[in-house]
Amino acid sequence: MSTATSVDRNPATQARVIGALAGRALRVQFRRAQFLLPSFILPLVLLAVIASGTSSARSLPGFPSTGAYVGFVVGGTLMQGALLAGITAGIALAVDIEGGFFDRLLSAPIQRVSIVLGRVAAAGALGVVQATVFLTVAFIFGARYEGGVPGIAFAILLTALTAGGMAGLAASIALRTGSLSLLQNLFPIVFVLLFTAPAFFPRDLIDGTMQTIAEYNPLTYIVEAIRAALHDDAALGDPLHGLLAALGLLAGATALAVWAMRARLRNT
Amino acid sequence: MQAADNAVLVEDLVRTYPGGLRAVDGVNLKVETGEIYGFLGPNGAGKSTTVRILTTLLRPTSGRAVVAGFDVVTQAAQVRRTIGVALQEAALDPLMTGRELLRLQGALHGLRRSQARERGEELLRRVELVDAADRRLGTYSGGMRRRLDLAMALVHRPRVLFLDEPTTGLDPASRAALWREVRLLNDDGTTVFLTTQYLEEAEQLADRVGIIDRGQIVAEGTPDELKARVGEPSLHVELIDPARNADAIAAMSAHGHCSERREGGLVVRTPEGARAIAPVIRTLDEAGIEVDAIEVEEPTLDDVFLAVTGHTAAEAEAQAEAAPAP
Repeated sequence: MSTATSVDRNPATQARVIGALAGRALRVQFRRAQFLLPSFILPLVLLAVIASGTSSARSLPGFPSTGAYVGFVVGGTLMQGALLAGITAGIALAVDIEGGFFDRLLSAPIQRVSIVLGRVAAAGALGVVQATVFLTVAFIFGARYEGGVPGIAFAILLTALTAGGMAGLAASIALRTGSLSLLQNLFPIVFVLLFTAPAFFPRDLIDGTMQTIAEYNPLTYIVEAIRAALHDDAALGDPLHGLLAALGLLAGATALAVWAMRARLRNT
Repeated sequence: MQAADNAVLVEDLVRTYPGGLRAVDGVNLKVETGEIYGFLGPNGAGKSTTVRILTTLLRPTSGRAVVAGFDVVTQAAQVRRTIGVALQEAALDPLMTGRELLRLQGALHGLRRSQARERGEELLRRVELVDAADRRLGTYSGGMRRRLDLAMALVHRPRVLFLDEPTTGLDPASRAALWREVRLLNDDGTTVFLTTQYLEEAEQLADRVGIIDRGQIVAEGTPDELKARVGEPSLHVELIDPARNADAIAAMSAHGHCSERREGGLVVRTPEGARAIAPVIRTLDEAGIEVDAIEVEEPTLDDVFLAVTGHTAAEAEAQAEAAPAP
């Protein structure tokens, strides 16, 4: 007698499936140096380099007061971590596709969208861990968060949403192409996205064209909202705009990934 | 026979890949509930493509396939709930442990956490992997990975189990252990659809065998029926003095068709099989010809292929490799 239940439309079961897939994705993330290094080490290295090498930027006219310079740039570090968490989620999915584990998931009686949602959820959870680590490290090196616990919690939330959104984008590329090498070559895009947003410098101090580009980059609103929340300073950004941008990125990217999954299944 | 009476029913199944390769070209087959069906063929014959269609991983270009009473296209979710799948080249995450993978598989099949844990432990005991359960799969041998793969396919107690070349690359002991497990599963009532390149494996396990070549079923029947189509088993005879081969052929012709082998020695095709050994030795002895060695040779996949297709399995593989990749 089969012990399988009617899993396809049962939301509680689907939530359990997504949780199990996300749990597996997180476990693998922490066991594979190839994923751990970019998710944690790289952002911390860049934080150290920028915080120590460009701290004189604080003395520029118009630079906002956020206490220690590291307290200003840590918002950019959260974004960098979130973007890299998303990319590694796409890489992990491509590894599953190339290695055949994806087929094992497809042969299970689950809604196949769960495979995408599990990846997105895992990236979001990783974003929470990353943000907690980065904020703690920055605190140790002098950053102070006037926004208190609510500000920190909001910053962590935005990081998690952004990581989930980026995971959706990367997953859609993995599902469309199935190419591990293509995903691995997307790392530079993280830096393009970061440096076309005011990740490490205030928007007012960015030159004309870049400022225009920054206005169209959703990360701009997210990183500014993180700073505003951490330092409890509305002049640094609009938390609502940041939340909407992060939610929009998450919803749009997840929809793209679901679409890519359906297209992949249609074409098999 | 109605679809529901069969564990697997396939009608005029075709799968064409982009580029025009017809990997499956009009396959028809039936597997009865409780049967072990051996699907035999060389690499590139269409075995794995057929299994991927039956397990809902691939859509057919045309035709119909029904598994456990459910259509693989229109009722794919029901099919997936009913079947267990252990695919060729067991796709297991090397960074996870055996225990973790079994629990994940349980969750994917709708088991609650406690159910998945209990079932996982039960299966670890069954495939004798309890001691290795907390080791990452990267440290498992090929046989251990296949056993775990089998355990994962059984998590939800499937009615139909698909095993795609489960013993390819395994050592004889691991192969025998897996065969034993497949027989036990079948004794419990599980229908098994087994693809293999090994005639011996099909003979050991299968109630019936289908042979596929270039996407088409070219022969079907019990192993004995198929062997009968191939012809008799043969005796391989080595003489102490190969110069007397011609004399030996003349002497042994009464026992069956006798000829010289390219690799050396003589071959006698005889319906008597092993029972012909004593009479053949007596005949040669009476003719004053000394025998160095004599043994029964069972038909190989090549013999079957040669008999039913006119070419060997190796030739079919070579042609499949030369064809455009799917």
